Amino acid sequence: MSMFGLGGGGAQSAPQPSSAQIEAATAELDMITDVFNRIVSSCHNKCISTRYHEAELNKGESVCVDRCVAKFFTVNAKVGEQMQKMGGAAAGGGGGGGGFF
Amino acid sequence: MDFSSFSSAEQQAMQRVIENKQRLDFMRLYAGLVERCFDSCCNDFTSKALSTKEDTCVSNCTLKFLKHSERVGARFSEENAKMMGQQSK
Repeated sequence: MSMFGLGGGGAQSAPQPSSAQIEAATAELDMITDVFNRIVSSCHNKCISTRYHEAELNKGESVCVDRCVAKFFTVNAKVGEQMQKMGGAAAGGGGGGGGFF
Repeated sequence: MDFSSFSSAEQQAMQRVIENKQRLDFMRLYAGLVERCFDSCCNDFTSKALSTKEDTCVSNCTLKFLKHSERVGARFSEENAKMMGQQSK
């Protein structure tokens, strides 16, 4: 985790100057970390052997992880596209067009 | 992300937000790692002590996850940069 050294999720605990800009930046941060954590977890489940004979990623696992991340992004974009197509402004509500950083 | 447009008070507030998130994220990483490695490595409860095998398994599991996460981070920022480039075109 800790992509960009950031943490994800949880309650906003910023009682200090809370401008709209800060809120927007915080939301963006939350979204990016959330996606990152999902990718880490999903690709770990899909690519990493749980036998743990060694601490290194082997060649197959490394290649798998690389492809897994790329594929996740493609799927992310595709789902966003489809949702935009079908929902647009009407049905989208908060979720429409999601998945674009 | 670029916070250079923020005032110094805003940058400070943002800094606090980020620090809180880091703390939270670390705790979550820790808890998640314990759960993941415990699940994968500890399945024999005929003894309450961690066997040598379990011990190496847990340590491999932890190190491997961190390496995995590092690699994902590298690929992630590449893909992210690629996408940002496409959007600004």
